[in-house]
Amino acid sequence: MNQSDQHLEDIQAIRKLMEASSRFLSLSGLSGIVAGLLGVAGAIAAQLIITKISAPEDWYMRPFAEGLDGFREFLPLFGVMALVLVLAFSGAVIFSSRKARKSGHRAWTPVTRRMLASLLIPLGTGGLFILFTAATVPAGVSIASTLIFYGLAVISAGKFTFGEIHWLGVLEVITGLVCLALPQHCVLIWVFGFGLLHIVYGLFMYLRYRG
Amino acid sequence: MKEILANFNKAFESRVRLGIMSVLAVNDSMDFTGLRETLAVTDGNLASHLRALEEAGYINMEKSFINRKPNTSYSITEEGLDSFSSHLKALEELIRNR
Repeated sequence: MNQSDQHLEDIQAIRKLMEASSRFLSLSGLSGIVAGLLGVAGAIAAQLIITKISAPEDWYMRPFAEGLDGFREFLPLFGVMALVLVLAFSGAVIFSSRKARKSGHRAWTPVTRRMLASLLIPLGTGGLFILFTAATVPAGVSIASTLIFYGLAVISAGKFTFGEIHWLGVLEVITGLVCLALPQHCVLIWVFGFGLLHIVYGLFMYLRYRG
Repeated sequence: MKEILANFNKAFESRVRLGIMSVLAVNDSMDFTGLRETLAVTDGNLASHLRALEEAGYINMEKSFINRKPNTSYSITEEGLDSFSSHLKALEELIRNR
C-alpha cells in the first residue's frame, strides 16, 4: 500500500467513526411508515368514538375530561391514543434493531441512550402536561399539544440521528400550531401530522437509506 | 510539501489515537467504556493511547463516581481540536497532491 492510499483510508476511517459515534444510524424508515399507518388507524377509531358517543358539535371546545361522566365517555379515546403510541414505539424499536443487525451496527450505544433521553424528556413533559390539563383545557388544544410536543421531541432527538428528521419535527410543530388555530378540523389535521407526515418521511428514508 | 508535513502531527500517527480524537471531536465527552465499545480495542491498548494524548494536552480526563462506581470520562481540549483539524487538513492536502 502506498502512503497516500493509507492517508485516504485514515480519512475514511475518521469520517466513519465521527458519524458512528455521534449519530444513531439505524433508525428505520419502515418504522416511520408503520407509525403513520397506525396514526391514521388511530384517528379513524377516534373519529368513530366521537361519532358513537354523539359528542356535541363543539366537543373540541370542551375539555376532554369535563366532569367524571365526560371522562368516562372519552376513556376509550385515551385508550386508542395510548395503544397507537405503544405500538408505534415498539415498531420503531423492532425495525431499528433489525436494521442495526443487518448493517452490522450495534443498536444500543452511548448515542442511542443520549438520543432516547433527548426524545423522552420533551415527550414525557408533553404527556404529563396534556394529562394534567385535560380537565380544564379544550380538547382541540390537547390534540394540538400532542403534535407540538412530539415535534419538539423529534427536533431535540434529531441532533443524534439523520439530519432529515429535523424537518419532520419542524413540520410537526407547525402542524400543531395550525391545529391550534383551526380546532374544528383538529382530527383531520392530526391525521395529516401523525399519519401522512410519518408515511412520507418513512418512505423517503426507506428509499434513500435502504431500510 | 514541507509546509504540509509541518501540520502532519506525529501524535496522531496511530489508528487508535486518530480514532479517539475523531470520536471526541464530535462528542462533548465520552467515558472509557463508550470509547472502548466504539473503537473496538482492548483496555490496555486504549488506556496507553489515552494517556499519551492526555500528556500531549490534547484531551482532558475527568474521574467521577456514578452510583459509587468509578467513571472516567474524556473530552477534547481546545488545543487538541486545533491540532486535530490541522492534522485532518494536512491529510486531505496529501491526498489531493498525490
